[in-house]
Amino acid sequence: MSHESQQAHESQQAQESQQAHKDDEVVRFSLRDRIDHLLVMVIFFGLALTGLPQKFHDAAFSKAIVSALGGIAQVRYFHRLAGVLFSAMTLIHLVTILAAVIAGRSRLAMVPGAKDFRDVVTTLRYYLRLSNVRAQFDRFDYKEKFEYWGILFGGLIMITTGFALLYPIEVTRFLPGQIIPAAKVAHGNEGLMAFLVVIVWHIYNVVFAPEVFPGSKTIFTGKIPRERMRHEHPLEYARMFPDEADQVLGVQADEPAAKPAEKSAPKEDG
Amino acid sequence: MNWMVSMSVRSAKPTFARGAHSLLAVFLFLVMASDTRAVAGEIEECLSCHGSEGLSVTLESGEEAPLFMKHELLEGSVHKNLRCTDCHAGLQQVPHPERHYKDLAQFRASFGEACKNCHFENYTKTLDSVHYGLQARGDVFAPTCVKCHGSHDIAKPAQPRSRISQTCATCHRPISEAYAKSVHGHALIAENNRDVPICTDCHRSHDIADPKSRAWLMNTPNLCGKCHADGKLMGKYGLSTAVVSTYLSDFHGTTAAFGAKGRKTANEPVVALCVDCHGIHNIGKVTGDSAPAFRANLVKTCQKCHPGASDNFPAAWLSHYEPTLERAPLVYMVRFFYKLIIPFIVGGLLLQILLHLWRTVVNR
Repeated sequence: MSHESQQAHESQQAQESQQAHKDDEVVRFSLRDRIDHLLVMVIFFGLALTGLPQKFHDAAFSKAIVSALGGIAQVRYFHRLAGVLFSAMTLIHLVTILAAVIAGRSRLAMVPGAKDFRDVVTTLRYYLRLSNVRAQFDRFDYKEKFEYWGILFGGLIMITTGFALLYPIEVTRFLPGQIIPAAKVAHGNEGLMAFLVVIVWHIYNVVFAPEVFPGSKTIFTGKIPRERMRHEHPLEYARMFPDEADQVLGVQADEPAAKPAEKSAPKEDG
Repeated sequence: MNWMVSMSVRSAKPTFARGAHSLLAVFLFLVMASDTRAVAGEIEECLSCHGSEGLSVTLESGEEAPLFMKHELLEGSVHKNLRCTDCHAGLQQVPHPERHYKDLAQFRASFGEACKNCHFENYTKTLDSVHYGLQARGDVFAPTCVKCHGSHDIAKPAQPRSRISQTCATCHRPISEAYAKSVHGHALIAENNRDVPICTDCHRSHDIADPKSRAWLMNTPNLCGKCHADGKLMGKYGLSTAVVSTYLSDFHGTTAAFGAKGRKTANEPVVALCVDCHGIHNIGKVTGDSAPAFRANLVKTCQKCHPGASDNFPAAWLSHYEPTLERAPLVYMVRFFYKLIIPFIVGGLLLQILLHLWRTVVNR
């Protein structure tokens, strides 16, 4: 069998399997991941709803929200309750990960590496039409990693400053008083930033982006259409379906006919 | 006769009622101008009996009601050109028709209604006042018109301005003394300062509200803000107008602005209002030479609501200052950091979204 015919044969096979798997879904998130996301989603929304009116206390929407929730004392109560829940979730999350790492059961798929930074450059070059090569992602792409670490670090800032604001007397017993107004500025601004990032970036990526519009259900069902998995996480896909690996990893550039030169893929370690 | 005109101009707001008052004043002016001799005649006539010291009547309760009127009292009165019977209505006939009064309080109250015939607007306002509330509950010591304004010697109430606090002091002595020592009261009495508030600037004159009511307490930051957020006024004394905005944007002020729930009386504080730290009538100076003493006392002030507050705690409040690099470097730097990072991050992400959309469109 010549090289060409072998390729043709493989591509035909792939097309068949693609056809067969068209409506297939693959599991992407565990039940635990889905529950975590749901809880964080609800708590985050609750925190924003009860927190932003405190930051923008002059705004008309703030007055409306505060009176709808039964007054500022109620709003603060809900906010603190949600904050404590969020803190507990963060703690449990960190402990779980630590345990998994110690037990050697974690793939550390969220840990950013040099590839993620290369992916940013590749993607931006692609967006700017400087190249037609698209970055090939593993289990989590750099956007997902950015959001994860953003919410984790941002969350830790919110938790520490939040507790400082909740217990100012105890905190100022061993720290200078200025910590409290500084914590207040940090808490309000970090919260606002988190809110904006989620509203703008996260909601775009999972709801409005053309690839997923009118919204990806993956984080709720745990399953992702096989086609999207191939497209969005080819490196992980190739690991899941080794027989399709060559084919998946080959497709890196759009419009292959237009710019054959760019077909030569950057050396990825996938 | 120029008092009439000035009466209606003083504190004038152009309302219909005021307009009606002015008309009334003009009317009275005309009547009286033609009638000055008749007025003098009536006063003479009344004084033929009421000018004799010791004239009195015994009431049902056994109390003596003095009926003597010292003629000189009228000399300084703004009402010296009214007839006696303009206020003491129904007593034109001599001998007077028989009347029954249970006691001295009832006897005096019978004249209280006389003022409303001319001063209806102010009379109506008093019906909402804490003083009228006392009166309505049968408190015989509750002030009526004449208790504050006087009767036969009735004069312009705020000339000089310090006269107002003297008037209030007849009943509210300890408060008046505290006020006299305060930064406001001292400036009024010692310097005849026209900018500092007198009693009625905060408490109003006729519709005096109950200062222990929740609504009143929660409104006190607005009261203070009336002057302390006025740049022109504060500029005269080198005082900052940021006191109101910094208060409102901090924890206490935000709570107050949202109408903190739970505060029922002055003794049940839920959130610190201006008066909780600065005092009410005894408000002291907090700038210049007085600053160190105020600062030294600050922990104790905080501890009123935050028991267990340490010496570090008062610094958690930036004393109405906007954070600067010199005064609150940490707060300033955190704020500066977020001023940079928020537009950078959010702007960057937005740009990436737009680029993504653009590339998607181009691909089609």
